[in-house]
Amino acid sequence: MILSELLTAEVRGDAPVGFVVDVRFVVDAPGEPDRAPEARLYGLIVSPHAKFSPMGFERKDLASPWPIAQIQGWLHRGSFLVHWEDVAAIGRGWVRLRPGFTRYDARLPEEARTLDEDW
Amino acid sequence: MSPTYPPDREAAGRRLLDAHLHLLDRQVLDTDSVPVTAVSDLEISDLDSGEEIPRGTAPPRIEALLSGPVFATRAFGGRPPASRLHRIAWSDVSSVDVVLRLRVRSDSLEASWGERWVRDRIIGRIPGARHDPE
Repeated sequence: MILSELLTAEVRGDAPVGFVVDVRFVVDAPGEPDRAPEARLYGLIVSPHAKFSPMGFERKDLASPWPIAQIQGWLHRGSFLVHWEDVAAIGRGWVRLRPGFTRYDARLPEEARTLDEDW
Repeated sequence: MSPTYPPDREAAGRRLLDAHLHLLDRQVLDTDSVPVTAVSDLEISDLDSGEEIPRGTAPPRIEALLSGPVFATRAFGGRPPASRLHRIAWSDVSSVDVVLRLRVRSDSLEASWGERWVRDRIIGRIPGARHDPE
């Protein structure tokens, strides 16, 4: 599977709930020193109204640049994260969620590490 | 909406990268900081398309970065054939930041064949092109 098959895919629960606008991976702790740590799929960022990339505005409460933040906030209002465990099936252009799936906040947890540290 | 990440608490203290935001279209540099290519797509470990995913199935992983001619397909739809996409194994990536850095040299990668071809067949035949300027 390639990433572009997932991006913009329609997400359905009991009814359509939005579109995949990004795919979040968690980078595992380093194992062997000469190998990159594995990046496993953590969840899908789902936007109910737009297929465009949220450009990272969904990760934190960013307020600047103000016009962009306002537009992104409006386009992606109601965005949420679906954990991998709640994904029931993935097809070409669509994703089906398990009944009773949970809508998690798409913002990063406080303790998440930044990407600019060496692996 | 839940504000936290309860199902996978251990992931919260690790790096969480969003593929579209942090990987797509990023410049890739080799171990000597030589530009190699840009990331056009990602290869994710296989899932059976359309099949039910049993609970507890291990999540897919990033297998490779893909680069290739995606300009036209992004504009007009579709995707380039797999044979036109060059693969860089994820295990060769050493860091993800504004650019992606590799732990290997670009000469060992299929993605840089065009540059090597031009260097060896065209630039290298120009008198004086095979040594440093004096």
